[in-house]
Amino acid sequence: MAAKSSLFKVILLGDGGVGKSSLMNRYVTNKFDAHLFHTIGVEFLNKELEVDGHLVTMQIWDTAGQERFRSLRTPFYRGSDCCLLTFSVDDSQSFLNLGNWKKEFIYYADVKEPDSFPFVVLGNKLDVADRQVSTEDAQQWCRENGNFPYYETSAKDATNVAVAFEEAVRRVLAVEDRGDHLIHTDTVNLHRKPRSSATCC
Amino acid sequence: MTFPVTQVIFEQDGIFIHPSTDSSEFQDSLTSGFLRILDKDSSSVVQWAQCPGDGRHRSVEQQQSYETEWDMVNTVSFKKKPSTNGEAPERTSGAFLFNVSDLKTIKVKTEGWCRLTFCLKEHVTLPDLHFHQGGSDSFLDSLRGFLLLTQSPGDQSFLVVSSQSKALSQSFENLLDDATFGLVQKFKNDPYTTTLGGFSKVTNYIFDAFRGPEMAHRQRPAEEVADLISEAIPGLEVNQQEEPGFEVITRIDLGPRPAVWRGEPVSAEAWAEHIDAEGRVQNVAQLKEAVFKGGLCHAARREGWKFLLGYFPWDTTREERKGLHKRKTDEYFRMKLQWKSVSEEQERRNSRLRDYRSLIEKDVNRTDRTNKFYEGPDNPGLILLHDILMTYCMYDFDLGYVQGMSDLLSPILYVMENEVDAFWCFVSFMDQMHQNFEEQMQGMKAQLIHLSTLLRLLDLSFWNYLESQDSGYLYFCFRWLLIRFKRELSFQGVLRLWEVMWTGLPCQNFHLLVCLHLFVCACLCALCEDIMRAHYLYLPQFPHPQDLPSSVGEILGFHADSEQSKLDGSEFGLLDSPQPPRRWHTQDLGEDFIPNGNGHLRETHDVYKLAYIL
Repeated sequence: MAAKSSLFKVILLGDGGVGKSSLMNRYVTNKFDAHLFHTIGVEFLNKELEVDGHLVTMQIWDTAGQERFRSLRTPFYRGSDCCLLTFSVDDSQSFLNLGNWKKEFIYYADVKEPDSFPFVVLGNKLDVADRQVSTEDAQQWCRENGNFPYYETSAKDATNVAVAFEEAVRRVLAVEDRGDHLIHTDTVNLHRKPRSSATCC
Repeated sequence: MTFPVTQVIFEQDGIFIHPSTDSSEFQDSLTSGFLRILDKDSSSVVQWAQCPGDGRHRSVEQQQSYETEWDMVNTVSFKKKPSTNGEAPERTSGAFLFNVSDLKTIKVKTEGWCRLTFCLKEHVTLPDLHFHQGGSDSFLDSLRGFLLLTQSPGDQSFLVVSSQSKALSQSFENLLDDATFGLVQKFKNDPYTTTLGGFSKVTNYIFDAFRGPEMAHRQRPAEEVADLISEAIPGLEVNQQEEPGFEVITRIDLGPRPAVWRGEPVSAEAWAEHIDAEGRVQNVAQLKEAVFKGGLCHAARREGWKFLLGYFPWDTTREERKGLHKRKTDEYFRMKLQWKSVSEEQERRNSRLRDYRSLIEKDVNRTDRTNKFYEGPDNPGLILLHDILMTYCMYDFDLGYVQGMSDLLSPILYVMENEVDAFWCFVSFMDQMHQNFEEQMQGMKAQLIHLSTLLRLLDLSFWNYLESQDSGYLYFCFRWLLIRFKRELSFQGVLRLWEVMWTGLPCQNFHLLVCLHLFVCACLCALCEDIMRAHYLYLPQFPHPQDLPSSVGEILGFHADSEQSKLDGSEFGLLDSPQPPRRWHTQDLGEDFIPNGNGHLRETHDVYKLAYIL
């Protein structure tokens, strides 16, 4: 099972200009272009990686952040395995909007169990000198909103980018394992007894 | 008028019927036979019959030739569809023959080989056909030339025929009955200029139906139209009762592309020759036509664009324009002062202005930064871009700033090199594009529907493919349309394409044809890198406007009785685009990389490479 590569759909959401496309490009192509065009519509890139022995193809979806493009981007939310909520540490408004992004995603992705859906929060532009959002505030938001993992990233100097995307994959795998586990535990009870008795004897 | 000729559209032998327990007609063990799709008399039939002794001579090559180049010619020769009500299929000695219009469903079952079960009207089920040697796909493909087959939502192994045979026969009758009967003849002589004209007749039914009940004599069933719309735009509420329906459209292979050449760009001198003593522009139609055919020399652009965009009316004198310019300058600076004079305090209480400003600042930093006019950290071009966009927010606060506007402004500012002129030219351009940027993006939705319709008519199998990949919405064309290919071409290419489009020739929605052309390009690209690297963008061949009656004409925005209809379609040709589509070089990113693509196009299929040009 570990040799089989599975396709995960990961979607990047957040205000315009927080660096969604740059994060995606840094992670997939390991390049950074300060003058990258802003995204119009929806784009995606694929990246293959191995996490904890699992071969995974991550399909990263990048969206246009402006409110006006909502009706265009929301149809693409369905089927996402993980959502990366992104803000920029030098833009407090983008941080305040995280909650709206989360809400929009849950609504349009039609997530069955919002409480257990894997979100990862990224505070990008760590390289910028004047921050407006403190690490503590961001961490607190993540704790209060569902214990989301939080990463402070810089697409510009590559800080934490790969780690954050890998964490997204781990979260997806964890959710799947939990699913496996639930099925497992039902049957395991029967098997466990003889096994434990074997060690006893 | 009838064409009593039998034509073989599809033929393959080695297709088996297995012994059937419940029918004495098929008492033998495996019976091998040939399967054909025939154009017989005036209708198309599917025939299976036991192999005669020489049946084996039917070669595989023949089977490949089902997509004959001029299927359309064959098809439009259906004068009348024979009555099919309740007629039992012909069945002799295990053989059967039925009219394709009687087909209701096909069950496709694959268990080592493919097995097709045809179910006709009146619940007639024919014996299963076993494709032991393959070929079921090409058979179904051939059939799709006549019928729209869609997977049943309930059971994926069922293909449901969605055509309304009545509407279908009516379509074809209309194709032949009215003044465009000459279509078939034209086809033989000049396939390119006739094709779209022919399609347009079919589209007509769609758009007539859009118009509502007053057109009832030619109206299509409402649910078909509803399907069409809702397919194009999800979330749009359209009452959807039946399978998506559309009529029979045959495949068109246009053959080799005739050679066409672009004209020379209009020089500043040539432009000046059109100006009379008082400064009025003479022979506007002729001038527009020259621009359409060759574009403008860069030196003529600053002047020319003001007229093409409508900032300066063609018939104004030099004096009148001087006055206009003065008024427009005052108006511009008055509006500029409005946002300039908003204090920080005020802005704190004005979230919309704050949001516009914040996004403009971000986007200006991300627009054409490799262009000399906008490169470097403190380029004055950036400040102008910013100020004009901010002033536009004051000009139209409801619309405000929407991402994509900076892409539309940048080439204009580059050409005008003047804040006020660039602003008013941008305002004129935005007047054309306004709907695309509005809250509900209705303009974009309508255009995506139109594009989907055109594509469906132009290449049903490609359209079906996209549909099967959930890409029928053509979302990946969103950027093409919103910013008019700004990021698909080189900067110089954009200047040329836009001035050509601003002539309004040959039709208002010429850009939709450019989109179709990009599809064609993309497919060529996928097949042949050399073509891709030839650094040309070919505009689609365009039919003679007279051959484009209502519907396609309507989609494309032809105006009846305008001077445009005098244009000779055969002269529209190459648009020289100095660079191949963006982000073509993908080798360094690995095979699986689909740059900027649309996730729906990820199958290993030539067409998926469409994504490369995005």
